[in-house]
Amino acid sequence: MNQAKGKRLRPELLIKVVGALFFIYLFFGWMLIPCWNTLTSIFTTTNAAGETDPWAVIRFFFAGNMAKYVWNSLKLAVCLVITVNVVGISIVVLTEYFDIRGARILRLGYMTTLIYSGVALVTGYLFLYDSDGILTNLLVNAFPGLSPNWFSGFKAVLFTMTFACTSNHILFLRNAIRSIDYNTVEAARNMGAKPFSVLMKVVFPTLLPTLFSLTIMTFITGLCAMSAPQLLGYDSINPEIVRLAGSSTADESFPQARAALLSIILATFTIILLTILSSYERKGHYLSVSKTKTKLQKQKITNPVANVIAHIYAYALFIIYMVPVVMILIFSFQTYSAIRMKKIDLSNWTLVNFFGTEDYQYLTSRGTYKTRTNSISGVFSNEATIAGIKTSFLLSAIAALLACVIVVVACNYIFKNRNKKRGMVLEYSLLFPWLLPTILICYSYRIFFNSTSVWYVGNTNLYYAENVRILIILAYTVTKLPFSLRMIKAAFYAIDEELEDAARNLGASGLTTFLRVKLPIILPSVLAVFALNFNALFTEYEMSATFSSTYGTTYSMVIQSMCQDEGLFGYNVNASGRRCASTVFIMIVSGVILFLVYGVGGQDLSERLALKEKRQKWIERIKKKVHKTSENAA
Amino acid sequence: MIRLNDIVVKFGDFTALDHVSVHVKEGEFFTFLGPSGCGKTTTLRTLTGFIEPTQGTVMVKGADITHVPIEERNIGMVFQSYALFPTMTVYDNIAFGLKIKKMKRAERDQKVREIARKVDLSDEQLGKAVSQLSGGQQQRVAIARALVTDPSIICLDEPLSNLDAKLRIQLRNELKKMQADFGITTIYVTHDQEEALTLSDRIAVFNKGVIEQIGTPNEIYNHSDTEFVCNFIGDINRLADEVVDQLIRQGGALNRDDHNYIRLERIHVNAALQSGDVGLPGIVQKREYYGLYIKYYIDLGCQIIKVIERNDGANIYEAGESVTAVLNARDVMSYTASGNAGNSGSGR
Repeated sequence: MNQAKGKRLRPELLIKVVGALFFIYLFFGWMLIPCWNTLTSIFTTTNAAGETDPWAVIRFFFAGNMAKYVWNSLKLAVCLVITVNVVGISIVVLTEYFDIRGARILRLGYMTTLIYSGVALVTGYLFLYDSDGILTNLLVNAFPGLSPNWFSGFKAVLFTMTFACTSNHILFLRNAIRSIDYNTVEAARNMGAKPFSVLMKVVFPTLLPTLFSLTIMTFITGLCAMSAPQLLGYDSINPEIVRLAGSSTADESFPQARAALLSIILATFTIILLTILSSYERKGHYLSVSKTKTKLQKQKITNPVANVIAHIYAYALFIIYMVPVVMILIFSFQTYSAIRMKKIDLSNWTLVNFFGTEDYQYLTSRGTYKTRTNSISGVFSNEATIAGIKTSFLLSAIAALLACVIVVVACNYIFKNRNKKRGMVLEYSLLFPWLLPTILICYSYRIFFNSTSVWYVGNTNLYYAENVRILIILAYTVTKLPFSLRMIKAAFYAIDEELEDAARNLGASGLTTFLRVKLPIILPSVLAVFALNFNALFTEYEMSATFSSTYGTTYSMVIQSMCQDEGLFGYNVNASGRRCASTVFIMIVSGVILFLVYGVGGQDLSERLALKEKRQKWIERIKKKVHKTSENAA
Repeated sequence: MIRLNDIVVKFGDFTALDHVSVHVKEGEFFTFLGPSGCGKTTTLRTLTGFIEPTQGTVMVKGADITHVPIEERNIGMVFQSYALFPTMTVYDNIAFGLKIKKMKRAERDQKVREIARKVDLSDEQLGKAVSQLSGGQQQRVAIARALVTDPSIICLDEPLSNLDAKLRIQLRNELKKMQADFGITTIYVTHDQEEALTLSDRIAVFNKGVIEQIGTPNEIYNHSDTEFVCNFIGDINRLADEVVDQLIRQGGALNRDDHNYIRLERIHVNAALQSGDVGLPGIVQKREYYGLYIKYYIDLGCQIIKVIERNDGANIYEAGESVTAVLNARDVMSYTASGNAGNSGSGR
């Protein structure tokens, strides 16, 4: 079949050629070549004699302590799979399946990780649980045998990440459990099964595909963990890669090649796991065959002892989730001295951690007090913090926008050529970064573009001075392509194919059809992807740490520096205050974005029109009232 | 008005349309009828320009439009799903084509409101989102959108298939009335024979990429050209050889080697025999009650024959009852083994 061609063949052809060249440049220049360079660098290592020794790094790996990082990461990943699933499944089952009192409030508590995660969460936990943290003090008082330094290393990372990584359970497992057909539960009960055996034999098997996906995702998260191991002191792969990337041959043996080897090991694990996941997903999920699905009704726990235990467990988890959030919120409005002493002063509240400055007084070695004017500053009055926020805001916004634009254009092409090889090639090339750990991409960029010999970027050193911002934007963009593609592609596939035909039939050109018909339909999804990408990038830590430089200091790096001790004579003064305020600020930004995405962005035209009508009626009512009042006054 | 000349459409090795030729007259309500995958929608999409034929020409009002881009053909189309733009209001949906044509706002507004009135859409409904309308109202919006640009032809691709039975009948009548009011040449695609027979001036019956017959509903139903058409349109009995023998013995000009068919309503139960009639004794095996009529399955020994009788409330036969099925050779449609119309049988 030959599809009808328009008269305007030439401009369309030109657009196609430019588009093809762009995607070839993107794939080869920004995905394949830098990563290939990393891979080959392992085998081009030179030894002390200056000879190329392809196996030097491999020998070093087995002889030195490099295996420790891999083992530690694997240990963390395996343990996380267990703990995250235990906590994740229990919070979803407790709030969605069993009838627990106060389930709504509990759910809100468990959902806090949606707005409070990553570096903000880790620094928050650190604030409460480190050696002089308020909760550590409480615990040490309660259990005198407990070491004040208990919150460090593997235990601390596992604890923090367990509660930080249940967001996916809240989002996906909750949806899966809510979509269970209640008739199947009733049928099992009707045949004599008790609630617990219904849960185990009827409910869980239908959740298995979701649980499997969540397990794989958790494993990868554990393997690629960055902020928690870095801040809580645990030797795992990612922090080591970042450390090696910043090291030089003068300090240790071939650090770059070792970093490359660790990246490749991480990539191999990721590829294996994603292959397992995709082959499992291809086998299909359990679909409800019910024609008249019934909404799941909550099950009462009939055994009183079990009921009490379930309630205690649910509220204990709620406390673990909520305490850091509440504490951080309270402390963000506390004075400098209250934060320093880590004691809540209910009589003294301040906004200085957010806005404005205060003078800082300290005791000199001569025994006199010295004042440093305006040294205590808030998030929005501290130059370094403001600069970090500005940098992150700008870089994240540009990258999120770029990722969306690239993916929308690509999806339009993929959608049009969905049964053709060229469509598939484009799709898979954009999914390529998904196979590689973020750290590998960033590390590859840092090494590969830190030279003036890359011709396709105009022989410019992109890691030099302000250029690093371009590098960060591109790394942000490339790493967000797979996620954006999966989401936006789904939106494209939801478009009724006949809509495009209808528009063409009514005289619209291909471009007009795209701009006026298809784009408005997918726009809510595109905006949602933009917002979610922005949200994730705004506080992302892993990439920022890899590209760490004076010109590329992002907000998360600033937050990380707030974890450093406040030194003598006012160095890093009020860092803890700003850290609390930063966490609150991030929670507000995330909360607003989630509200815009799921609340406002989720409305269709009829809902928007209904709202508009409501608004108009409201305005008319006010106008009438005003008119009446003025008449009465007259 | 419309001439499709010797159209061939191939998808790789598969031939979707095999030398299809159709001539549609101005103002005619013309239906493409056939089972799924027979090529009726492909023919329609070739006419509208979504598919360029591998061979053949598409002529409208004497002009060859085979290679004219879709957007320049001025052929209105109502899609199976209506394809109403969900992000636009009813008004914006109807005005879309006029905006593309860069019509001035005032003129555009006037045209939109005028067409909306004609298809019975109120001003209030124009401001609504399409998802707020019922199925019938959505269909009217789709028709208004297709008609507002004053197309020379309107094509409807199974526009009633997503609706429930009652609404389908109601809208079918409205559609016919609208077509008569606008007087526009209409091409209608359906797999529903009842819809085709009710609405059409003429019908083209498709099968496996070829047109089996073009004719009026009466020609198609009562004088089917091919065995496929005869089987596809309405319910029918294929007569067993023993029955054919009896009809031949009564002077019927039938051929035992042909495939001989008779419509259900042409057989009568316990009717008085007239010239050329054959009465075949049998037992009512099953009875289906439809209200307006009753369908009997009569076991004649050599075959089970289906009969439809008007429900007069008096002569209703029970299962197991002995009856006589009365039929006449002039009502038989005969086809050779290759499926073409045979020489005998007054159905021809």
